[in-house]
Amino acid sequence: MTAPKPAPAKAPLPEPVLNRKNGILMADRRWPTDQWAHPWSLPGYRNGALMLAGIILGILGGGALIGELSKWGDKLYALMAAFATAKGISTVAVDAVWVAIKVLIVLHVILVNGLWSIWWERKISAHIQSRVGPTYAGGFHGWAQTICDGIKLFLKEDITPAAADHWVHALAPAIVIAPCIAAFAPVLFGTDLAAARLDVGTLYVFAFAGISVIGVVMAGWASGNKYSLLGGLRAAAQIVSYELPRGFSVVPVIMFAGSLDLSVIADAQSGYWWGVAPRWFVFYPVVGQVAFLIFLIASIAETNRTPFDIPEAESELVGGFHTEYSGMKWSVFFLAEYAYVLLASFLLATFFLGGGGSPLPWAPFTLVPSWIWMLSKAMFMMFVFLWVRWTLPRLRVDQLMDFNWKFLLPWSFANIAVAGLYLAFWLK
Amino acid sequence: MTSEAATAAIPALRSDQLFVNLGPQHPSTHGVLRVGLTIEGEVIVKAVPDIGYLHRGTEKLAEARGYHHCVVLTDRWDYVASMPNNLVFCLAAEKLLGVKATPRADALRVMMCELNRIASHLLFVGTYGIDIGAFTPFLYAFREREMILDLFEMVCGARLTYNYIRLGGVMVDVTPEWTAKLKEFLEYFKPKIDEYDQLLSYNPIFMARTQGVGLITAAEAVSWSLSGPNLRGSGVVYDARKADPYCGYENYDFDVVVGKEGSCWDRYFCRVTEMRQSVRIVEQVLAKLPEGPVMAAGVAKIPKPAPGEAYAHVEAARGDLGVHLVSDGGVSPFRMHVRAPSFLNLAILQEKLVGMKISDVIALLGSTDIVLGEVDR
Amino acid sequence: MTQDELLAKMQKKFPKAAKTAVQVKDYLTVSLPSKDDLIPVAAWLKKEGFDYLDMLTAVDYLGPVDMKGYIRQANFNVFLPEGAAPQAESAAVAGYAYRPVLELVWAFVSMKDKARIFVKLEVPRDAARAPSLSGLFKSADWQEREVFDLFGVVYDGHPNLTKILTPDFLQGHPLRKDYVHIKDRYDE
Repeated sequence: MTAPKPAPAKAPLPEPVLNRKNGILMADRRWPTDQWAHPWSLPGYRNGALMLAGIILGILGGGALIGELSKWGDKLYALMAAFATAKGISTVAVDAVWVAIKVLIVLHVILVNGLWSIWWERKISAHIQSRVGPTYAGGFHGWAQTICDGIKLFLKEDITPAAADHWVHALAPAIVIAPCIAAFAPVLFGTDLAAARLDVGTLYVFAFAGISVIGVVMAGWASGNKYSLLGGLRAAAQIVSYELPRGFSVVPVIMFAGSLDLSVIADAQSGYWWGVAPRWFVFYPVVGQVAFLIFLIASIAETNRTPFDIPEAESELVGGFHTEYSGMKWSVFFLAEYAYVLLASFLLATFFLGGGGSPLPWAPFTLVPSWIWMLSKAMFMMFVFLWVRWTLPRLRVDQLMDFNWKFLLPWSFANIAVAGLYLAFWLK
Repeated sequence: MTSEAATAAIPALRSDQLFVNLGPQHPSTHGVLRVGLTIEGEVIVKAVPDIGYLHRGTEKLAEARGYHHCVVLTDRWDYVASMPNNLVFCLAAEKLLGVKATPRADALRVMMCELNRIASHLLFVGTYGIDIGAFTPFLYAFREREMILDLFEMVCGARLTYNYIRLGGVMVDVTPEWTAKLKEFLEYFKPKIDEYDQLLSYNPIFMARTQGVGLITAAEAVSWSLSGPNLRGSGVVYDARKADPYCGYENYDFDVVVGKEGSCWDRYFCRVTEMRQSVRIVEQVLAKLPEGPVMAAGVAKIPKPAPGEAYAHVEAARGDLGVHLVSDGGVSPFRMHVRAPSFLNLAILQEKLVGMKISDVIALLGSTDIVLGEVDR
Repeated sequence: MTQDELLAKMQKKFPKAAKTAVQVKDYLTVSLPSKDDLIPVAAWLKKEGFDYLDMLTAVDYLGPVDMKGYIRQANFNVFLPEGAAPQAESAAVAGYAYRPVLELVWAFVSMKDKARIFVKLEVPRDAARAPSLSGLFKSADWQEREVFDLFGVVYDGHPNLTKILTPDFLQGHPLRKDYVHIKDRYDE
């Protein structure tokens, strides 16, 4: 019999970290005072400057796509037309290709806006809430977070509930997003820079933006979920109601400009009072500010964002009309939401903030291309949207309706009357 | 065709009441509460709260465990503020055993319970903001709550279920380093309460959503045996810390906060103001913290109290938390009954929700600040 | 009002109400001779200012708890060596007067005087009935349902006496001392 093998010498266990000292447990974690000293937890002005730099970079990057291409637009069209006549191709085909190119650009505005504004909203909300937001994906301030989210949403299972009306359920996101894309056709991205110049641009935008509510109601109805149904009905009531003050608040602007064409409205705001103050409609005494505020508030309500987010009110209706959506169908709703925010921002910039005009009549400002001004104004308005969303609580349904019918609508009517007086006595 | 004939030709529009399950999985029920709502449009016609999804039978489990083991069970009732749970069981058991905690232990108990009350009310402020639709205050409140939990972690190693208050005293003493950190925290925290007021309490939309909503009169509050801020929000001055002082609360100077009309906002604001009072109490405890041991002598490893009955109640974060203990002289409590404030605060909902809108249901449900662990026990 | 004054006042009105042998420590505890006295006593107390029904519960005095079915390990202290004597197991205590009764307990609080009184009533286990206080105190509603669910005490006159905490399929009343858990589909 052989002697039992001696047990192999084990490596000594590492010394346990003594975290119990003087009878109290000393937490190994960083003590919160270090956390308080951390710049993120304070109103981080230093990092705010960095953020601002990032935002400006984003504006420049996004805008270059449209703004700088447009300079080559006429030359490109002429080149195509010359090529077509040389080859004997009908000019209709050339125009068709030309429209397709413009449509693609507008479509990309919406898609890039989705990427950009979701990341931006996350960052803004994080800083409002004394957090840092996404920091990991992509390296620099989590810039690739939305891309990763998008990939995740693509890979998610697309669930249709058993109780759902399958066709309507699948059709609803399309009905929400399609009019939204169409509504971008006459939107100005700079001075005289739009996919299509329409005489009735204002009406066209409002008409198309109003169609989406049908998709929302369809989504709520078809999901086979009571919360979705309630959300869809709330959305119908809310969006239809807020269409009125939103439309009426623009009437003074149309009266001053004398046209429904967005380009004419923007051009009507060129020039400066006393050589300094821009003649933007928002600076027209009283009428301009009231119209601006009503349009801003109604736009927030139209886009279903806090404090008017009762159709999706997550603490009441779980997710409202999109409770039963997942994967890409769900993200289409969100793409549409952000596209509407962008649309509202561009409209605010066009109607009230002088479109692509420079705020000051001096050299460094006037040299800046119009699309940069336009985008800056639109992005500022978008920031206002995010700011409001992450600051305010939510209204109740009846308060929301009261606010619309008893406050916004009468004031927008009064505003039109005062604008008429301006036209009669001041701006004749 | 006459108009009557035209009307008759259209089939009558069928309208029906809708039954909606609010919970047990719902963002705003704060746990596994289910409320069966019958709604007509947005208005509630009938509301039936359904509880028991988290019933773990604590009272039965206690009958087969030693007294020291039962302290662990108490942590799981109100898991948001479990120091008072530990305390109330220990007070009842100490009455049975005839043990008195040392002065330093009493002071530490008061301090920990008040800190836990602040932590619990902070959670309420945050989640109530979310219920009303304001997401931002939640993270501000949690930032401060995190620091209190860090303080608890330093002293007892746990962040949620502390098991810190034991029969006869407390688990361990605190060190001067810890009290220094606590002072630092209090100085940091005091101005933060004003911040919540600016951010949420006096927000016009928040006030429009909560003032005049979910009114509970003083008579109703007493009849339904509400307690804590829910009772005081209706204007009834009743606080176990003043009415039936324990652990030397009579030595500290603080005010009982009451509301005016019993609306959701009153209950909310009672809690915000109670945080200021709690800070006052903690500061007083810190100023005159007695020296000495933190554990009374003579508590056995396996306590066997003489046959008898005892009842102890404390003002926990959610109301008047009581424990009724019966001993037959054995190693386990013969019977333990928990008078759970959340359980009683929830019962009023079935009457109050009728006639409200869905949004108000969330506002009222949030303002009662229930913890389902305590409701179901 | 001290405890003795309150007791004297009460006994003037209800001569049969007596102090119990085992008092709830620090509080006045009164026992009622029969269940018919409960409603008058509660109404009188409410009139006297005890308008807050603080607590409502029951105690089963049958004997030590039967732990079959819900204690998996006799010795749940994992730090004890193998085969150690089981700790903290409930067992009959010699000399304690176990009896087949359910003792119902009510606690009333006066919001005005901050005073508290416990009222007790013994009912037989096999015919556990008592009048409901839900007409006088609304909070009795859920608390009586709880005691009904866990002890099987039937409160006469309760508007909606149904189970509240335990699941619908659970047989028996778990807090009775002789309750034995029957395995169901949720046990592994």
